[in-house]
Amino acid sequence: MANARDVKRRIKSVDNTRQITRTMELVATSKLKRATDRVGAASPYAQALREIVESLYAPAFAERFPLLRRPEREERVAVLLMTANRGLAGAFNANLIKEARGVLDSFEAKGVRPELHIAGKKGIAYFRFRGQAISSEDISIGDAPTIDDAERLVAPLRQRFVEGDLDAVYLIASDYRSALSTPPSTKKLLPIEPDQDGPSENRQAADTFILSPSAGLILDRLLPTYVRNAVFTALIENAAAEQAQRRTAMKNATDNAGDVLEHLTRTYNRARQAQITQEIAEIVGGAAGLE
Amino acid sequence: MALTVRIVAPDRTVFDGEATAVVAPAWDGEVGVLAGHAPMITLLGVGRLDVDLPTGKGSDRYYVAGGVMKVLDDRVTILTDYAGDEMPEHLPEGARIEKEDLLAHASAGNIFA
Repeated sequence: MANARDVKRRIKSVDNTRQITRTMELVATSKLKRATDRVGAASPYAQALREIVESLYAPAFAERFPLLRRPEREERVAVLLMTANRGLAGAFNANLIKEARGVLDSFEAKGVRPELHIAGKKGIAYFRFRGQAISSEDISIGDAPTIDDAERLVAPLRQRFVEGDLDAVYLIASDYRSALSTPPSTKKLLPIEPDQDGPSENRQAADTFILSPSAGLILDRLLPTYVRNAVFTALIENAAAEQAQRRTAMKNATDNAGDVLEHLTRTYNRARQAQITQEIAEIVGGAAGLE
Repeated sequence: MALTVRIVAPDRTVFDGEATAVVAPAWDGEVGVLAGHAPMITLLGVGRLDVDLPTGKGSDRYYVAGGVMKVLDDRVTILTDYAGDEMPEHLPEGARIEKEDLLAHASAGNIFA
């Protein structure tokens, strides 16, 4: 039987842990709210931009615009991985890292060594530990990513793709589907592949519009914006996914701490009861000895 | 008949509602849109964007920098990198389009489609 004093000490420690995890759960809940608001606020722009690009896009442009260029073979590939700067978010970072490793492995099986660009301390720490070369690192992205963050991350990659220095750029981040579903996913960032099967109402042929100055020049301005916005969307969805997973993880931790507390309290009571029983038995025994 | 106008910046919707007229700073000067305008997609420059609200409600004024405006079936969609009540202190890169830029583009490649 455990010593009552030791059990008491453990109860105290588990209770403290539960207070901390509950606070973290509450913090993550309020951050999640703000993060999902940002995801919602950014979607009209993304949708309108996609509509306009799709209505201007013609397959013939693929040869004229560097950002639409489709190399025959993907030999020089860059992978942009987004993780969180902080842990304690369940399997959030681990899932992203696993996804990234899967992507890197499948390229290496084809004899391609992709460059690895990482935003977020957790991903950087993991790949550094594994001794993998990291081409660029960014740890300055906070809970509310901005357009400038997106531009800073993607501008060098976009530039190199335009110059023909890269054949493809992939983006690995978490999709935010709901607070309970935030799977990691890999998307092709470059070359841009406009969705040809979009809803038919969006697919108004370019020749029905007055285009000023010209379809080509409008696309020339919008395509870089399109790429930047894809990264921006990924950043804010990833930030929301991080908070969602942290909230779930901390809720589980709080619930588990509660279970452990219940068990320990029983153990403590039993130990205390045993001690009292023993003391009474000793007194009774002592009294009997005197008679 | 009225226009349905939506002004969106990357991180928020600035305006979403009915209007009778829109005067936007296109890349080559102001362009006005009334109900019944032909379908149009035009690049925007930097400047004032006026949205005339339905009768009796006056008009809203914004400043925008860069982006694009699409008009289709009396729906006006304005995408812009910046939209606010004042001119931005620092213009987003590429917000202003000079005729020289266009000519340079034109001579660099045959992108006038």
